[in-house]
Amino acid sequence: MVHALHEAHRVLKPNGILIDLRPAALHRRVGLRQGERLLPVGIMRERFDDDRAADRAVADVIREGFFMADQRKQFPCSRLMDSLNEFQKWLDYSVKLGKLPSHDWLVRKVERERHTVGGKTRIVVSGPLMLQVLKKR
Amino acid sequence: MSLRVDPEKNEVRALKAVIDWHEKLVLEIGCGEGRLTRRLARLGAIVHANDPDAGLIAKAKRNVPRSFAKRIRFRVGQAEKLNHASKTFDIVVFSWVL
Repeated sequence: MVHALHEAHRVLKPNGILIDLRPAALHRRVGLRQGERLLPVGIMRERFDDDRAADRAVADVIREGFFMADQRKQFPCSRLMDSLNEFQKWLDYSVKLGKLPSHDWLVRKVERERHTVGGKTRIVVSGPLMLQVLKKR
Repeated sequence: MSLRVDPEKNEVRALKAVIDWHEKLVLEIGCGEGRLTRRLARLGAIVHANDPDAGLIAKAKRNVPRSFAKRIRFRVGQAEKLNHASKTFDIVVFSWVL
């Protein structure tokens, strides 16, 4: 990660800006939306090792004098899915990347809740995003 | 496509609030299928977007509206070894990759 940040520093013009945008290291919430109603279903169990490593890498390039921290924001972000299949595919991709342990338990829970609620529902995954602005020194 | 990320557009609002993107030359690292790339182009940026996954880059190219064709360039590449000259870009965006 530090190598990638050094490369970013190299290709930036003097006074250039680096944006680090990624999900905040907080467990995302999964629910079902039916009309305006949101029914909570479960909380994901992400691993945050990569996030901590990224935070350390950013802190390193600031300490080394490559960048200076400018702004940091956190804001809500949601992901809507119409089908259980899409939800499963999205989870599988994150599992493949090593960011998640298997969440088959959550897929089963969502399936049960959808059956109980009945009618048309959408699966909603929500959790904050973090945006950090760094300025090239 | 029924999967939608950030339908409230909070992400683009936050990006707009921190920088003026108009005519800025931007390198986006980790563009995936180009969702954020299109949003940055819509903010007025000229975006060179890359991702190590050739399959995702192919999808991203297919998803570019004709009106953005001159504002967006996609390329397969690694963040640790960028194929760009030094001091080229106004802004570098790490898009969900760090």
